[in-house]
This record gives sequence, structure tokens and C-alpha cells, in this order.
Amino acid sequence: MRIDPEKCTSCARCPDYCPVTCIHEGDGTFVIDEDQCVECGVCLRDAGCPTDAIYMPEESCRYPRTIRAAFSDPGVQYPEELFPDLKQGGRGTEEMKTNDVTGNFPRGEFGMTLEFGRPGVGTRLREVEKVTTLLTSMGVHFEDSNALYFLLEDPERGTLKPELADEKVLSIIVEFALPEDRLESVVTALAQVLTTVDTVVSWGLVTRFEEDGSLPVKSRLEKLGLTVRPNAKVNMGMGRPLIED
Amino acid sequence: MSHSAHRCGTVSNLQNDYTMYARTSRHVNREGCGPKLRKILEIFLSEEPVNFGSSHSGKSFAAGLDPEEYSRSLDNAYAVACCFSKASSIRNVLRKLKEADTGISIVVSGLIEEIKSMAGEVGLTPHTALLSLGVHGRKELLPDESVLEITTMCGHGLVATHLVEEVAQKVRMGKVTPEEGAVSLAQPCPCGIFNLDRCRVLLAEQLGKISKEGGEQG
Repeated sequence: MRIDPEKCTSCARCPDYCPVTCIHEGDGTFVIDEDQCVECGVCLRDAGCPTDAIYMPEESCRYPRTIRAAFSDPGVQYPEELFPDLKQGGRGTEEMKTNDVTGNFPRGEFGMTLEFGRPGVGTRLREVEKVTTLLTSMGVHFEDSNALYFLLEDPERGTLKPELADEKVLSIIVEFALPEDRLESVVTALAQVLTTVDTVVSWGLVTRFEEDGSLPVKSRLEKLGLTVRPNAKVNMGMGRPLIED
Repeated sequence: MSHSAHRCGTVSNLQNDYTMYARTSRHVNREGCGPKLRKILEIFLSEEPVNFGSSHSGKSFAAGLDPEEYSRSLDNAYAVACCFSKASSIRNVLRKLKEADTGISIVVSGLIEEIKSMAGEVGLTPHTALLSLGVHGRKELLPDESVLEITTMCGHGLVATHLVEEVAQKVRMGKVTPEEGAVSLAQPCPCGIFNLDRCRVLLAEQLGKISKEGGEQG
């Protein structure tokens, strides 16, 4: 995003709306730090600029910068040329939301989600590579319907396309499945590498309920030093045909 | 929609915060899902939702999305999201959805034990959970928990920390009411899962704490 200095009246309305705090007072007008801007579009849509001084410049739509809006503005669809056959919006996948009809996460397996930049901090894509390269070295394969997969130069090594390393997005999700017996080794390694990233990461785990409604994985996670929040997303098992195993 | 999985809060102040999400699967039941999504929206709307919307419609109910216009647009959608502040609403919606038997997957976000209890009352068996294991990395970059409780109600992270601080300041100064503050904070979140009721309560609680502290000091 950019502010037209000819139109800006320095009313100071827009800075508060920026989720990554990249609008500052410049020399007589307000300016957007375009290196920090994630192209989420909140300033443009919601700040109510009285002179329509905020706009998206053409450069924002050119690769590799176009990645920013795709991962930061939920109203922007992934560009077809960059994400062929993805056929979905959103930063993640159907993951557990449709697990009752897809069976993507059967008993004996967990799903894991690592959302970089969330909540409200944003991330450079190079931070994501610290985790993707670690995970591939441990034999983890990434979900190929997640948009992140299309940003990888080599999915077997977890390396990103080099031109994307400095791009900044509001959030991006690493998703993968994990056999139950590998929980401890993968969580321990992840907990260590997450101390080295220059952003925040919201960590999630997908698991089936036991038939008695319990979630035994919670005690395993707590033994590993992780705190499980009391709130979660719950698939109610109402999809049909229902996958049971 | 892992964007409702990581809402910050306490067991106490999450009691009035539930989101429901109807989601079709690309390979199973998406084709021709429009009429079913419309039926689900009709059920959602019958039980006092506090907000609804989708990123594809570009705005939420709180930002002026017309329910009928939204309903008509569902032929080109794959999901419907809605937000409630009463457990009784969730219970009633689940009961109605069970009767309607649309076959579309339904996800409820909220307190796990509360959701399990409601499912039991309605005769449902929860299938899968996405648990939140908290925030890791450079947590010193995060604002106070009282701000996070509000900003994380937009899972896409579009409600800015400074906007929350600015609105909370206006509430404290009596320039806007907690209700008005909640409406203004909901605007950037197009998905309609920003809970205006909970935001209003959180803003009013902050005001109450300050009044109490002021009184004690005086």
C-alpha cells in the first residue's frame, strides 16, 4: 500500500488501523513503510481516508511482492499462475474442518499446524524455512494442498524459492500429518527451533476424540511442557457420509 | 479457518464466545452445496447470532452485510461462518442442524468441555479437535493479554493493536460506549467471527477495573 503525498492531509486516522504498525508520520504527510507492509488492505478498506489518499500501487501486484496480499488479505484469492490447481482460498486447508467426511486425520495420526506471524505480528518467509527444513530432515512431508507448498523450491528439503525469503506476510501456515508415535520427537525438536524464529507462531494439533470423548494427547503434550488451551475447534461429526475408523 | 482456534481468553470470559462454521469438502460434498448452505444460514440466523459473514463477501454483518444478499451469494461459496454469545443458541442450532441433516461438516469453536456437554445433550459425538498449544517464539512482540483477547477474535489478525488501544482509551474517556467501541473494532474483520458481545463486555470490564482502581486510590 502507498499514501499519495499530494492527497494526504495528515489527519492521522490511518496509523491505528495498521496491524503491523507500518504507517508513520513523514515529512509533512503520513507514509507507509513498504518494506514492512504486508498488503493486508485494512488501511485502504477501513481507515476511512477522507481524501482517498491510500492506494495499492502496481508494484504490489508483481511477483514476488504479490505473495504478500495473497497471504495477508483474506479477500484476495491466490493467483492462478502461482498456485495452479490450488482451487481454494484461505491460508490453510480443509484440515480438521471436514475430517468427518475426508478422514484426512485417522486414529493413530495427528495433524499439526504452525501459523507463523500470528497473532498480529507478521513474518518474513525466511523464518518459515527454519522450520520446514528441520521437519523435512525428520522425514516429515507437507500437506500439498496448503498454499505454502507452492512456495517451496524443493518440498523434499523444505527450502523456499530464494526470491521469497524477504517477503513479509501477516501469517502463513505450515501443515503436516504425524504418526502418533512420533509426537514426542517432533514436538521436542520444534519447541527448540521455535525459540530461534524472529516472529511469533501459533501452534495447533489435530486429533480424533476417543469414543468416550476424551483427548489422551493432552496429557502427552503437557508432559512435553506445552499448555493446551481450554478452547478449541471441534468437528461435530455431522458431515455425511461419515468416515469412521 | 484455523482462525478461530487461537482465541485468547480465560475460561470465564470465553463462556460467551462461540463460532460455528459449516464447511463443504472439495472432494465430497461441495458441488451444488448452495441450497444446503442457505438452509444452514437460515438456522444460524434463527438463533440470535451476534455476527456472521465471509471473506468472500468482503464484509461482515457488523460491517453492514445484508443477510438476504449474503444468502443469495452462497451458490458460489463453500462455507458459512457465524458467531454466537449464548450457549443456548449453540445448543438450539445443533439440534436444528441435526434435524435438517444437510450432511455438511459443522465445526464449533469454544470451550472444549462446554462443547462436549452440548453435543451430549443433543445426541452428537464430537469427531475431531484442533487444539491450541499457545503462542511460541518472540512473545515479547505481543501486546497485553487484555488487547489479545480482542485482537484474536479476528483470526486473520486484521484488528490492529493500536486500534484496540485507541478505542479502549475513547471508552475510558467516555467518548464512546463499549457497544460503539465493539462495533468499530469489528469493522476490519470480514469473516464475521468477531464477537461484538464479548468485545463489549471486555471493554466494559476494563472500564470497571479502572473505575475501581481510581476509587481505591481516591
